[in-house]
Amino acid sequence: MKKIILGWLLILLYAGNLHAQRVKGSETVLPITQKAAENFIKSHPRTNVTVTGGGSGVGISSLMSGTTDIAQTSRRIKFDERKKIKFAGNNLREVEVAFDALAIVVHPSNKVSQLTREQLSGIFTGKIKNWKEVGGEDLKIIPYSRETSSGTYEFFKESVLKHKNFMSGIMSMPANGAVIQSVSQTRGAIAYVGLAYLSDKVKPLAVSYDSGKTFVKPSVESAKNKSYPIVRPLYYYYLSKDEAKVKNFIDYLLSPTGQKIVEETGYVPVS
Amino acid sequence: MNQKFKQKAAFFLFRLFSFFIVGILISILGFIVINGISVISWEFLTESPTDGMTSGGIFPAIVGTFYLVIGSLIFAVPLGVMSAIYTTEYAGNGFIVRFIRMMTNNLASVPSIVFGLFGMALFVNKLEFGDSILAGSLTLGLLTLPLIIRTSEEALKAVPDSYRSGSLALGASKLQTIRKVVLPTALPNILTGVILSIGRVSGETAPILFTVAAYFLPNLPQSIFDQAMALPYHLYVLATSGTDLEASRPMAYGTALVLITIVLIFNLMATFMRQRLNKKFKQN
Amino acid sequence: MAQKNLLGKITEKLTESLLTLSGALTTIAILFITIFLFKEGFGLFKSPAIEDGYGLYVHPENPVNQLHPLDVKNMYDEEIINWNELGGANQEIMVFRIDDVFDYYTDEDLGENYSLLPEKLGYIISDHKNIIAYVPEEFAPSVTQGAKKVKVHNTTLSDFFLGKEWLPTATPSPLFGALPLILGTLLVSLIAIVLALPLGLGVAVYLSELADERMRKFLKPVIELLAGIPSVVYGFFGLVVVAPLVQKAFNLPVGETAFTGGLILAIMALPTIISVAEDAIRNTPTAMREASLALGATQWQTIYKVVIPYAGSGISAAAVLGIGRAVGETMAVLMITGNAAVIPSTIFEPVRTIPATIAAELGEAPSGGQHFQSLFLLGCILFLISMIISIVSEMISKKKTYKSL
Repeated sequence: MKKIILGWLLILLYAGNLHAQRVKGSETVLPITQKAAENFIKSHPRTNVTVTGGGSGVGISSLMSGTTDIAQTSRRIKFDERKKIKFAGNNLREVEVAFDALAIVVHPSNKVSQLTREQLSGIFTGKIKNWKEVGGEDLKIIPYSRETSSGTYEFFKESVLKHKNFMSGIMSMPANGAVIQSVSQTRGAIAYVGLAYLSDKVKPLAVSYDSGKTFVKPSVESAKNKSYPIVRPLYYYYLSKDEAKVKNFIDYLLSPTGQKIVEETGYVPVS
Repeated sequence: MNQKFKQKAAFFLFRLFSFFIVGILISILGFIVINGISVISWEFLTESPTDGMTSGGIFPAIVGTFYLVIGSLIFAVPLGVMSAIYTTEYAGNGFIVRFIRMMTNNLASVPSIVFGLFGMALFVNKLEFGDSILAGSLTLGLLTLPLIIRTSEEALKAVPDSYRSGSLALGASKLQTIRKVVLPTALPNILTGVILSIGRVSGETAPILFTVAAYFLPNLPQSIFDQAMALPYHLYVLATSGTDLEASRPMAYGTALVLITIVLIFNLMATFMRQRLNKKFKQN
Repeated sequence: MAQKNLLGKITEKLTESLLTLSGALTTIAILFITIFLFKEGFGLFKSPAIEDGYGLYVHPENPVNQLHPLDVKNMYDEEIINWNELGGANQEIMVFRIDDVFDYYTDEDLGENYSLLPEKLGYIISDHKNIIAYVPEEFAPSVTQGAKKVKVHNTTLSDFFLGKEWLPTATPSPLFGALPLILGTLLVSLIAIVLALPLGLGVAVYLSELADERMRKFLKPVIELLAGIPSVVYGFFGLVVVAPLVQKAFNLPVGETAFTGGLILAIMALPTIISVAEDAIRNTPTAMREASLALGATQWQTIYKVVIPYAGSGISAAAVLGIGRAVGETMAVLMITGNAAVIPSTIFEPVRTIPATIAAELGEAPSGGQHFQSLFLLGCILFLISMIISIVSEMISKKKTYKSL
């Protein structure tokens, strides 16, 4: 009995396996990374890719504390995060791996089909409280948001709210999937999700960034030709000292095979 | 007449409450079993998740949970049993023992998320183990330590003093007595405690959130410094993340079913063992 | 022979010291947890309130020298729009962030490696008497270049415990008002106890007084099974079954509310309450029961006039332990209470509890930063509550033992 335990311990302690790498961060980029990892392993059998979510903030924080090799994010790294990495004596590398459109979704029964950025800002900061104020029925608006660790949250705040804060008391969902779930069950709901998470359980709105002159619906095409205004790049960040470790996987993702995976998952390829 | 009526009403209410509780259990278990049973298959238990967690299996999560349970026991059982031996065999009944017992009770009531916080600060950050099976096992070991100590103490106390005095009378030292007489006698009850803690540890999520849990591992963890998937965390992500929540829902049910089955099997095992052992002691 | 004895004695002594050390293990663990939690948590009050590496700058003639984090947030949210609300001149506040510099200058204007950036920022600031600029300290203009740094107060104790807004990632200055979280936690636990205590007490009475041996053998495992179900499974059940039910039953806009959380927590706290209360009721001496019956009371009268008051301390211990269980719950609450950091006005609104906040935000808080420290401070609160509950329930049980003597 003791021998078996000892044997197990030895096996567990063996820190083997070359090319093991960890990718952590954005829930938005997660599906891309997971699918890519699955396929990458198939064609490169001696490698290992560990994928964890948690939000863009988690990814960057882990990159800073050394508990991940690649941080996947759906927002640009912030200045002070960049500084912390520099102070620790490391060099940061940034790679755009895909584009994503941020869709605004409501309950399928909602009559409203389009909103301007100003209206969206008013809704999510709590100034506009009822659907009738924007051309809908007399129903309380229930906005959903993401946790503060989410890059989607940060990007929405920057692009749509122009850095203003969300209304206090807004509901924070842990992931895109949970947002879709809640919106599909709540008549007055409105939320923002990555394009890849759209399903027929919710209704996407057309958005205007020029105060109502042109409204565009979110789709892979409108994201590609930049006519849809809420588009953002998705990033992989890593430290230059880890370049050899992560190069293969990142190159794979940027290759035509990898970019096809990006498109299949519902995102916009970089090329 | 009034009193009899009041009594009938009250007792009826309490009976209702009890059936209500049974009803709650049945609905929770039923909910999971009915929705999850169709997902369970040999592939489900032995394959990795694929297609964005909408098909495939949950094998890595099962393995991860297994590793974490073993890891936590490696830390908690020797230390916990030794601690129990100290307080029951050596420490007498003074202030020190009462203080230690109070501290153990305090540790037992600490919320699991605080263990996660502490585990992350100490094992992941300060000692730089990183997100690893090692950090997760240490954190879970700490979580389950009070349970092991408590059940071991009870097990040791249940050994009749006559055994001890008999052994000492034959010339054995205290340590020899413990090693050869007390411990073996208490072993079955200690084992019950271990089994109980296996059930507990398998289901814990909060302590592993920031110390070991990974969303997806294409290969099994190779060393104790790797991250691992785990059943409770897997259920959590299946229920709240992923591109297609609807499609992952069956996987979530399946995971919940496997998790509950493991937890309940160990809990029931421990309960029955305890009942059987109590009968044996009563007979003696 | 003598050597063997010596070796044996040394091993014995070593083993015994090892055992003594392990006895101290739980005490050491509690000590370490306390130290880590409190050291990190209270660091929040010493950290500057503004994001690391950034500063707030105003025109040198602006009389305002100090600002409270709440004011900064309100300024940037355009809730405060005139300097005279803060003790300055009567002029509209102009809010400026580093990215806005590109509205004034092109990338080339700023020179290589942004070497001309401080100078240009200095121009912008001196041109606008009503400006407040949030810029990295690295590129900040000095006083000679036309700007004055504003000091922002650290987060204080009352900011944390009484502050109403929890915005840990707001820029320029995050707010750590934990009051909504504290109240959310208390509300959900209160609902749980209000639901679970009568139910648990009733079942405890049934088990100890009314049930026959068969029922008892059946119910006991049922209760233990309920106790064994993991928190995340309860959360899953709550998310998929209970939340939609609550939404339909009470005609609410959303099913994830404090009430839903309290409901699930009540089920989770029940086994604790039932077993502790049942123990207390069973320990009532038969003599007291028989005396009451001899005086002509019915069984029910005996129970509620004699047995329950006698078991009062045990029942209180059960309630206290139940509250403890409810307060510390993480996963179930995270999945079903909607996680809105707001002071609830009704029980049918989403709330955010302390454990759920820690679980949701810990991953992204950079180690050692303000957010990180605030989460540890929340952990301190949880830890203290659990210690108090543990000690209180012990004291209550001790009282009981003395009484029975």
